[in-house]
Amino acid sequence: MNEKPIAFVFPAFISDYKDDPSDIVPAYEKIFEAYLEKAAAFADPELLSFHKESNPMLDDELRNQYITYIYGCSCAEVLRNSGVEPAITAGYSMGLYAALFSSGSVSFETGLLFIRKAYEANRKHLPGKQYGMAGVIGLSEKDISDIASRFNLNLALVNRNSDYSFIVAGSSFHIKVFLLKAREEGALHARSLGVTIPYHTNLLSEAAKELSETVYTADVHTPGIPIISVLNQELINDAARAKDEVVKNIFNPFNWLATQRRIFDTGIGIFTECGPSSALRKNSKFIPGAGKFVPWNALLK
Amino acid sequence: MAKITENTRNEVREAVIAFFAEECETDTSQIHDHTNIIRDLDGDSLMFLELIEIFKKKYNLDIELKTIGKYAVKHPVQTIGQLIEMQLLVIEHENRLLELDK
Repeated sequence: MNEKPIAFVFPAFISDYKDDPSDIVPAYEKIFEAYLEKAAAFADPELLSFHKESNPMLDDELRNQYITYIYGCSCAEVLRNSGVEPAITAGYSMGLYAALFSSGSVSFETGLLFIRKAYEANRKHLPGKQYGMAGVIGLSEKDISDIASRFNLNLALVNRNSDYSFIVAGSSFHIKVFLLKAREEGALHARSLGVTIPYHTNLLSEAAKELSETVYTADVHTPGIPIISVLNQELINDAARAKDEVVKNIFNPFNWLATQRRIFDTGIGIFTECGPSSALRKNSKFIPGAGKFVPWNALLK
Repeated sequence: MAKITENTRNEVREAVIAFFAEECETDTSQIHDHTNIIRDLDGDSLMFLELIEIFKKKYNLDIELKTIGKYAVKHPVQTIGQLIEMQLLVIEHENRLLELDK
């Protein structure tokens, strides 16, 4: 058993597999392969061609989500097989599905189903424009809002990672202009996130309605381990709330900064990022006094 | 305006190298002035931000991040040596950093 309570947190999309664990954790690869085969059989046979070294799936939004989900589920399982149990979980953006699976709220297949249905509904209901998202580091919320208003950009601030790291979404043209202006205004880093769906905006409210038809008839259980909502930082501790979260997560902004602080306030000081990247761990350094991130493989016993 | 002494220069150099050695899991002996932060160390902007925060605290600096960002647009930082020089300018000039370009 753990000496100290730990939070498992799950990333959404990944841009590389730099921290792929299979080289350092022998048990991991077998579990990952088993989940990959399951996902290929259930959702998309093409997933079997996944390869971490030359991976074309990074450019495919849906497959990227599947792979990130499989990574998250595999990391969590390796940890649990080693006796490391989470006291709480949270999913960053679409990392919610892996958090639900890890907490016992949905089966592996139901998680995949939600990913697919959400993606299909998002695509179907988006107005006929191109969209995108951007991450910006080094500007304040006011700086971002000033840029948007000065250049008449219709952007939604969809997440606050820390006091100086934000995610915005909007049409791809407005995102392009924003990136240009953000750099001119002194952003230390401003880049497109490489997605074509404006996740967490009300542009997806119709998609959420369609998704709800799947979610509210799916087999969803009370989470065995509490999940913290990234939308309002409340505990998701029954099946009804878990279903609501899946639907609302599509078209509402979230707040990762507040989520991490909330987890810390519950008495949990150690976090581990269940995935192949370390973006959440790196970001956590800018959330003063809100716990410590430990690489998941360092927790293995 | 802070005066940059030889001592400050050494302190900054040591802090920058120790920081990247730890973050990038590399030996300090492998990091030199010409080491490329992204290509050789796989560094990123969050590391840059963290380093700025460390120096802001250590030297009690009055500088906005976006001032450094604006300066970096005109004076891009790619190597450890360039980063050390920029940090020294930040310590010396703080929020008046952009006046150097006037």
